[in-house]
Amino acid sequence: MWGYTPWPIAALATPRARLLPRIHSKRELFPPRKTMSRKSLSPRLSVLALGLLAAVSPVAADPGGAADPGAGGAGDNPTVLNLPMRSGGPKSMDPVFGSTVYDNKAAAQVYETLLQYKYLVRPQEYEPLLLAELPKLSADGLTYSFRLKEGVHFHDDPCFPGGKGRHITSEDVFYSWKRMADLSNKPKSWWLFDQKIVGFDQYRAEQNAAAEDGGKFDYDAPVEGFRVINDREFEVVLLKKVFGFRWTLTMFQTSIVAREAVETYGTRIARHPVGTGPFTMAEADWTATKMVFNRNPNYHECYYPTEWMPEDVEAGFTEAAGQRLPIADRLVMPFYPQDQPMWLKFREGGLDFTQVPAENFREAINRRKGTLKPAYADEGITYHPVPLLDFIFRGFNMEDPLLGGYTDEKRYLRQAISLAIDWEEFNDSFYNNENVIYDGAVPPGLDGHPPEGRMEGAHRGKQLERAKELLAKAGYPDGKGLPVINYYSSNNANGTEQSQLTTRQLAAIGIKLNPRLSEFASVIEALNTKKAPMFSYAWSSDYPDGENNLSLFYGPNESPGNNHFNYKNEEYDRLYEQIQEMDPSPERSAIFERMQEILAYDTPFAGAMARTRKYLVNPWLKNFKPSEDFYNWAKYLDLDESKHK
Amino acid sequence: MWTYVVRRLLYNVPVYLGIIALMMAMLRVRNPVMMFLGKSATEEQIADLTERIGLARPFFFQYLEFLGQVFTLNFSQESWQQPGKTVGDLLSDAIVPTLWITVPSLIITAGIAIAVGLVSAFFRGRALDKSLVLVATLGMCISYLVYIIFGQYFGAYKLNDALAGEGPFDGKLFAIESWEPGFPGNWIHFCLLPVIINVVVAMGYDTRFYRAVMVEESTRDYITTAKAKGASKRKVMFVHMLKNAMIPIITRVMTTLPFLFVGSVLLESYFNIPGMGRELLTAINELDFPVTQTFTAVFAALFIVTNVLTDVLYALVDPRVRLS
Repeated sequence: MWGYTPWPIAALATPRARLLPRIHSKRELFPPRKTMSRKSLSPRLSVLALGLLAAVSPVAADPGGAADPGAGGAGDNPTVLNLPMRSGGPKSMDPVFGSTVYDNKAAAQVYETLLQYKYLVRPQEYEPLLLAELPKLSADGLTYSFRLKEGVHFHDDPCFPGGKGRHITSEDVFYSWKRMADLSNKPKSWWLFDQKIVGFDQYRAEQNAAAEDGGKFDYDAPVEGFRVINDREFEVVLLKKVFGFRWTLTMFQTSIVAREAVETYGTRIARHPVGTGPFTMAEADWTATKMVFNRNPNYHECYYPTEWMPEDVEAGFTEAAGQRLPIADRLVMPFYPQDQPMWLKFREGGLDFTQVPAENFREAINRRKGTLKPAYADEGITYHPVPLLDFIFRGFNMEDPLLGGYTDEKRYLRQAISLAIDWEEFNDSFYNNENVIYDGAVPPGLDGHPPEGRMEGAHRGKQLERAKELLAKAGYPDGKGLPVINYYSSNNANGTEQSQLTTRQLAAIGIKLNPRLSEFASVIEALNTKKAPMFSYAWSSDYPDGENNLSLFYGPNESPGNNHFNYKNEEYDRLYEQIQEMDPSPERSAIFERMQEILAYDTPFAGAMARTRKYLVNPWLKNFKPSEDFYNWAKYLDLDESKHK
Repeated sequence: MWTYVVRRLLYNVPVYLGIIALMMAMLRVRNPVMMFLGKSATEEQIADLTERIGLARPFFFQYLEFLGQVFTLNFSQESWQQPGKTVGDLLSDAIVPTLWITVPSLIITAGIAIAVGLVSAFFRGRALDKSLVLVATLGMCISYLVYIIFGQYFGAYKLNDALAGEGPFDGKLFAIESWEPGFPGNWIHFCLLPVIINVVVAMGYDTRFYRAVMVEESTRDYITTAKAKGASKRKVMFVHMLKNAMIPIITRVMTTLPFLFVGSVLLESYFNIPGMGRELLTAINELDFPVTQTFTAVFAALFIVTNVLTDVLYALVDPRVRLS
């Protein structure tokens, strides 16, 4: 008999402020638009304007390209959000195919996961989304029991009988996850389930083998660890305790899709999403320049959160508490492969928020104080720096004949390099001093991050004298006798300049670098094939648990897996396996600390740094608490049209 | 003439096959699978996907298969990076926005540049000519990117700001970015500013070229004869000189034609115009072989066809040219 206990949610969070009680507020959903004030126009421009009146008048009705995409049930005065996507757009809306932030941003509006992040709570916690309650965990920590929420329907779509979206069932969950095992879907995130669920790996191998032999991938074949109790209840049995599994259930790749839709649309499902999310999107509404989402009229009962941080009250994030979601009627998501048009569009009032491009930072932000400049503040714009779960570092291939290895001399060499790298200079030169520099591999905000970012035994530069000493101990006094080191880096935005800075910093102790700059794909290839002795790389945490970052050094994950350092240490591997199974606790935190001490001693990387994403929000956008960890927040957003430009 | 055209096209077949072979070989220097699968790929996944997308087969077989698709105009292969969209979809979606920018740009640029070249040649050595040459040279010295950035900032953002709240535009004469079909309203709103930028950029180069052509023509004997016979200046310029300058003009315009279909990577990128240039750049960056290969094959075919057409046009405008 299983003894069930709720997941230890509270244990996830580091101490934080008391949560405020639930507040219910009722307010007018669509406040009347205010008449715009108008500036005077010079006579010459007036002539120009009038001359083009007849031709352009259709444009004036819909200048931003936010043309009416169709039904939205929005009435005559819909609330339309304009939220930029800083890229050329997503590639696919299919959860199993998608992997990028942009895929996530788009898919999260139409598809949903079993769990979601709490919108206003920091550090991050999760809560049920498609579930009626948090899953229950068996006493042995291996079996999770789930109960689906009542009243959750797929979007209305012709793939269903009568075009009416049906209720989701337990089978939908397993079908969606089994798609990740089907290699014909070219899944990018199998690692989320790899070696985690009883019988799932075997099922994957068998079904793909059958498909390869001319048969079919049988989605109806059973998986031992997937147990359907009834339409609403199911269980998942894990191979071993994996704490990170619960975070997996918040990730968009595990979203629930409708089997009818996949079977009807085939690969077109990538552009024809049929989910349960707060918004719907028709194929025609995804053009090369933007996506348009409309409110899902059948969205299940979801309400604006009633848990928040104390500072959220002053920021006005709590006023909508208890309001039915989604609040907005339509969501327009234009794509910006270049920053300038996004910035100008924001300044023009055509976007509700923007990220601050590096070239516009000084225009908007007071660099010394890190505050918004008065001209912007006077317009009612607000500034939100968002620290990322980032791990930017310079890595070493531990199998490289020159830089790799575990002898003292090899360690001294890597430590000397690490001590010669001045991250403060990188921060100042390339990131307006907005980044956070830290020791270890766990970014700020997560359990395992060292206090104040400082860790004993770390080799943080700039300490040139110590670096020179260690270099001499490594057998290369003043760098003499040390061959030129091939240093792989991406030639992206400022990759070339950063490589030059790294080269100069190491030259100060007599180490010569040969920067091998290429596009990211080639860097990945060099890492996967273990050809890069030293490399520049960055890792964004998949979920807010230090275990995710520490997996980068787990021996069995060596290239082409995540462990591009090809680092192997028995004690480290053993500890990693241990923390995978542990719930957050002081013991687990202590193991994090020990693992990072091991890393500091062996020095498979030099670093680290975490970026800060800078958001400017126009005064009319309400409830926007920016996050870079999850992207289903559009459903909480609202507009105050009276403040619109 | 048709015999000539067919023969020229046949001569170009080996060139075309060579271009495709070279392009496919160059693409395969990099392995797209690792980039495609991302940061958590396993060896098993890499091997499977390599097999699945056909890259495990010998190059010769991949080459033959692609040639088969090209020669049967079969563009139904799915994009690797944009599932649900075929290469044909991408081509047909991207070609219209590109042509909306490039065709007007070519027509306006050629028209203005030829006229300016004629005027400049006619007033050769005088202040007007020198001024025009100076302006053209200055225009050539400035980067295309500068025109785009400043054009977008002043031509769209600042102008819109000045127009805010006034007239029918309410600050939205030229779009800062994006593209919507429709003529003339949407064309003026979304395309006119990029076209103006294109024209300004091309003017410098074209004006100097056409001026040189006209100057050369203006020294010919037939011009002296025409003047001696009492032909007016206008007739000399626009009838005699222009007609005889048609060969270099045709050459210039025809060589530009294939590029109309390629569009401008920078312009489309900054103005968020979903055209061929942006699509091709995305495909190259993301190692989307089906898209890159097809775009290149189509472009190479267009280039060859326009070259042959140029020769045919020579014969049409100049009776001295015989196609044989």
